[in-house]
Amino acid sequence: MKTLMPYPTVVGDIDVTIEKVALDGRDLPYSMISRNERVVALHEVERAEWEEARIALRVSLPEREIEAGPWTDVVCVAILTEGATNARLARPLRKRTDGAWVGSVPVSRTLHRTRASLTVSVVGTVGGVAGRVIGAADAAWVIDLTARAPERKKELNIVEIDFAASDEEWLIKLKESPWLVDTSGEMPTVYLNTGFEGLAPLLNGARSEMEKSARGLVASQIAGDAWTAMFHAAVSDLEIGDDGTPQVPSGWRESVLRQMLPDVIPGASLADALLEVHERRTDGQGWSALQTYIHHAAAKRARIPKYVRTAVRALDRAEDSER
Amino acid sequence: MSELDSFGAWLERQLRRSRVSQAELAAALNMTRAGVSAWVNNRAMPRADKLRSIEEFFGLLPGAATSLQDAEKRAVQRIWYHRRAHPDGGREFGNAAAFAFEADLATLAREATQNSLDEGLDPTRPVRVRYTLHELSGDQLRTFKDHLQWDDLEPHLRAAARHRQKVARVLAEGLRELDETDSLLLLRIDDYNAAGLTGPEYDDGRFAAVVRRQLDSRKAEGRPAGGSFGLGKATLWANSRLGLVLMNSTLSEPYEGHHERRMIGRLDLPWRRVDGEPFAGPAWLGEPDETPGFRRVARSWWADEETARALHLERDSQEPGTSFLIVGAHDMSNEGEPGRPDLLAMHTKLVVALADNFWAAMTAGENRPPLLQASVAALRNGEVVIPEQRVEPSEYFPAHVRALKAYLDGVTVDRLTAVDQVALARVPLLVPPLRGTGDKAVEHRAVLLVTPADHGDRDPGKIVYMRGSRMTVMKRRPREVPLGTDPFQAILLAGYATGEEGPEVAAAEAFLRASEPPEHDRWDRTEELAVVYARGALTRPRTFRADVDAALREIVGRREVQAKGGPSVLRELLQLDTAVGARRGEGYPTVRHIEGAIDDTGAWRVHIELRIPRRDDPWLLAPVAWFHGQEGGKATITWAELAAVENCEIDGENVRVSPGVGSASFAGITEVSSHLVPAGWARLAVDVRRARGART
Amino acid sequence: MNRTPPALPEVLALLPTTAATQHLTRGVLTGQEDPPRVALQRASKPIGASAARWHTAPVRELVEEAMRRFADARTRADAWLAPRLHATLRMTRAEAADPELWNFMSLVVAPDYVVWRHTGAVTSTTSRPTAPADRFVGVAHKHAFARLWWAAEMFRDGEDYRSAEFACGNQDVLHTALRLNAIDHRPTALALLQVLANLAARKVSHLGDHVNALASEINIVRSTLMYDVIAPVEPPDTDAVLEWIAEAETAPPVPLNSLPDGPRDGRVPKTSVDALVKIFEKVHEESPHLRRRAATVDNAGAGVSLAKPGI
Repeated sequence: MKTLMPYPTVVGDIDVTIEKVALDGRDLPYSMISRNERVVALHEVERAEWEEARIALRVSLPEREIEAGPWTDVVCVAILTEGATNARLARPLRKRTDGAWVGSVPVSRTLHRTRASLTVSVVGTVGGVAGRVIGAADAAWVIDLTARAPERKKELNIVEIDFAASDEEWLIKLKESPWLVDTSGEMPTVYLNTGFEGLAPLLNGARSEMEKSARGLVASQIAGDAWTAMFHAAVSDLEIGDDGTPQVPSGWRESVLRQMLPDVIPGASLADALLEVHERRTDGQGWSALQTYIHHAAAKRARIPKYVRTAVRALDRAEDSER
Repeated sequence: MSELDSFGAWLERQLRRSRVSQAELAAALNMTRAGVSAWVNNRAMPRADKLRSIEEFFGLLPGAATSLQDAEKRAVQRIWYHRRAHPDGGREFGNAAAFAFEADLATLAREATQNSLDEGLDPTRPVRVRYTLHELSGDQLRTFKDHLQWDDLEPHLRAAARHRQKVARVLAEGLRELDETDSLLLLRIDDYNAAGLTGPEYDDGRFAAVVRRQLDSRKAEGRPAGGSFGLGKATLWANSRLGLVLMNSTLSEPYEGHHERRMIGRLDLPWRRVDGEPFAGPAWLGEPDETPGFRRVARSWWADEETARALHLERDSQEPGTSFLIVGAHDMSNEGEPGRPDLLAMHTKLVVALADNFWAAMTAGENRPPLLQASVAALRNGEVVIPEQRVEPSEYFPAHVRALKAYLDGVTVDRLTAVDQVALARVPLLVPPLRGTGDKAVEHRAVLLVTPADHGDRDPGKIVYMRGSRMTVMKRRPREVPLGTDPFQAILLAGYATGEEGPEVAAAEAFLRASEPPEHDRWDRTEELAVVYARGALTRPRTFRADVDAALREIVGRREVQAKGGPSVLRELLQLDTAVGARRGEGYPTVRHIEGAIDDTGAWRVHIELRIPRRDDPWLLAPVAWFHGQEGGKATITWAELAAVENCEIDGENVRVSPGVGSASFAGITEVSSHLVPAGWARLAVDVRRARGART
Repeated sequence: MNRTPPALPEVLALLPTTAATQHLTRGVLTGQEDPPRVALQRASKPIGASAARWHTAPVRELVEEAMRRFADARTRADAWLAPRLHATLRMTRAEAADPELWNFMSLVVAPDYVVWRHTGAVTSTTSRPTAPADRFVGVAHKHAFARLWWAAEMFRDGEDYRSAEFACGNQDVLHTALRLNAIDHRPTALALLQVLANLAARKVSHLGDHVNALASEINIVRSTLMYDVIAPVEPPDTDAVLEWIAEAETAPPVPLNSLPDGPRDGRVPKTSVDALVKIFEKVHEESPHLRRRAATVDNAGAGVSLAKPGI
């Protein structure tokens, strides 16, 4: 996909720097701000009960381009949003004498729940129309209210718990399962049953070659289940756009589809593959045939072929040494 | 009338210059030694006839003895003195010290400026250095050559250029260009608020170290020197194609009663034979020495302003310091067009080199002047080509300069909370005692400064280690910094670089210098450490670096986060974003480029280029367009018209791409009545899909 | 439908989605059986400090009143219930964003209301009609209670619920506009309602189509216009919201026949709303898409479209 705007937009870099973050007026250690990952972590155990965080930011625009360009009344705004709370806050930045645009954005505990997104847009008048979006910072910053370290969430939740002794009633019922995959939450979760004898020690502390190969087999089996479950969850919650085609979802579902669809429907673009899967699933035709490919894609992600081969070789060697 | 301007001083100077004792003069004038002594000590003035006799004795113009100053003018007769070949027949085809350096302006700027810094005079004011590139041609060049006594020089240059060695080839190239283009590049390096070339003509001192000797580093005890006038000065000659450097120095301590315009030229050539006579190598331009034992050797002379100007060596003020003029300056890596030195490129190179090497010395605090100010200018026949540009360190090393400035201003913090802050940590360096003294080790508290790197900072994530006059010894990436740590800049100031005083500071400075190899590029175990210091000294530099790394990690490291849930074997199989953004070889056609505009009817007219995976069958594609809302919202648009442009044909609503091609393009006009909003209000998106079914 | 389940818990709790989905049987969706209240309570977690606002009785009363009042026109219950639910279940947005709270509401506190309000029409003779599962456990703009609370939150103007009431009176607004991120900008939300009100006043046909078209237009135009700059608004006064929440301890039950007062966290400037109304109306009127449709309607014969007044 490529897009065109109906008026000239700014091409140069728009850089956003978080200068500092204060929780209820006290500065946060700068190590809770990651410029690499564009994440601010707001959760300090010692100060769990804060009310407002204030994010001071500085934006540099391609000034020469803007001076020379067809835009007038150029302003720069910072926008803080969170989907879960429908929060949206726009704060105009002010231009300092050195050309940098600066300002601060409040993050209220009442308006935000887990992760807010901070973006910066440049707005101006073009061709007589005011308020045109003429540029935006490349990527959003994540303001994570629950994280202690500024990192993007990249992996599923893995919860090690004794199902039988759990507070969660549904887990107790399933206490005979060694593991479970739950895709209903904000992030998918793999539950490992520590009450399942031998599972936790195997996964966490294999020593001998045989133990290691068994560990690999089990781990890849669990991961294969997880990928399969995630794929099904991702294709079952699709939003259908105005044109009747399914839209690519966001978050972990997007990651799962981007990783697996090329193996499920080879040689097709993401949109084409998604439409294909969606149609087969809804009208049922060819849906069961597709399972083979979903399984293949999940096994590939879970590296099952590699672990099976390792296990087989380990067995061979064990037999050889017994002879 | 001051002491210096007195007749006594004048007379003493004449005696010294001519290496004549008071007794010899007394004998020549037929009077007592006490009488001459009375003149020298200004206790008496000679009668007029005696004055004339004195002038005659010293071979001066009539009236010199009364006007005092005029005497020198006339006295100066400049000669080129070429050292005779060694009596043992040895031949040297180049200066070994100069060989250590390529002709490189960056190296020159580093070495020459470090020397100036080391020779700084008043520590409360900055040492100022100025680099001036000056291209001469035509009349201006001819005048300069006359003053240089080119005719005496040229046969030697031509003779030396006949060899096949490296120096000779450079020289030959220089002469060829001079002949062909009739232009010559001068590079002048001035320093002010520096010691100047003090000391006697041949004996130990700054002057002799620069002009007469090789590898005399003159390391004065207890000075925060880097390695002044050692190898470094050889870069001056290395950067001259002709091996020729002229000097004009204003001395901080008088010599022969003079401060200003001590001038001399030195030429470094290989062995050569001129008019059948062999010469060893070096030559000097100066006043013929009359002292027994040095007769006809060219020595420095006290020039008048006019001569200084004629040799392009006039100085701005009476402030002490030296001006070096590199005649036939060049840079191996930066030659520009033949015959036309690329002044802009050379100017830039000098500015960047000065910033690179001396940003720290050039950094000032609110109330503390910098140690150094540097500027670069370029001229052509006296006309300004690039006006003098002061090197601003913050333009090149913003984060580093911010860190150092915060230290100088005392506004550092213990813990970083903002992007512009600078954290300071003290890192102890236990300096071991000298061997055999039985003294105790002393503790020096080095300064570690850390600040978040700026956007576009080059090479972040390293620690710059400095000592002395904020001289960079090394840049090292600290060990065991956690992955994903944000980019930072760090500076370690040790010894005198801390700006602090005290025996432990001096001890640390000496210790660290002893731990440097001749390249001065790291602190590690050296032979000197083993010999000079007590046991345990050898491992000390390494321990110190480890302590610095640990202090740095303390500042930039994140709080230890609890181990993430789950066995690692499983976690690595569940990474969600490993493939996101990583492009696979796409096996399907994609839009490579679109351009277009809205026409008078309100329709988008677009030109679409496709990237096509080659295959033997045609591709049947459906071009799709929509207005692209936020968060994935779209409003589909239909085409009023599609037209093939290249490698394809239009088949109804589809594009049929020819087999075997790698790209195709077509044009489209959107159907206005399908626009949800007027085109001017929306972002247009275009893509291609696999054509589906048999839609008409 | 008016059986009162025994042992209604006194305060709200948080019901994990996994546990909630487990009990979403066909019997529950059709209303034939009650969700297992004891098991669900056991699966739930306490909501934290006890406070009057978490009491279930006032909500339960409202729900029952709604079912009584709108027995014949259940869609109209939305406009009545939304502001009253919002003013009864006083909480911050952060709290309202927790799906576990809404799971508890729909499965433990008032499953009967969900079935009553959302059970579809009889489509076949063999199977009983059901309420969609996402009305019990689902995203905020689908969930039977969450969508009402959020509609009131997004479309109120400070303490004034009239705009929210108007919004909830139109199913297309609830259905389409509520899921539009553009309305997170409060002047945009109110301007959208104003444009609709103006259209309604002109008695245009197919108002629902206009709502959907307008929502899409606003979303598309947002890719080129920054509404936040054209129509500035102060951030909400969060202290006022917290004060209003604290008043829940002593506040009387919400009035049943007049609108309650919401939190005084700041009104949206009229100038900002007007600026956007002007743009939205212009875009809507100039929409080539709409014109084409208008033209088709004209060709089909004038007056036909007016045959269905009073949407």
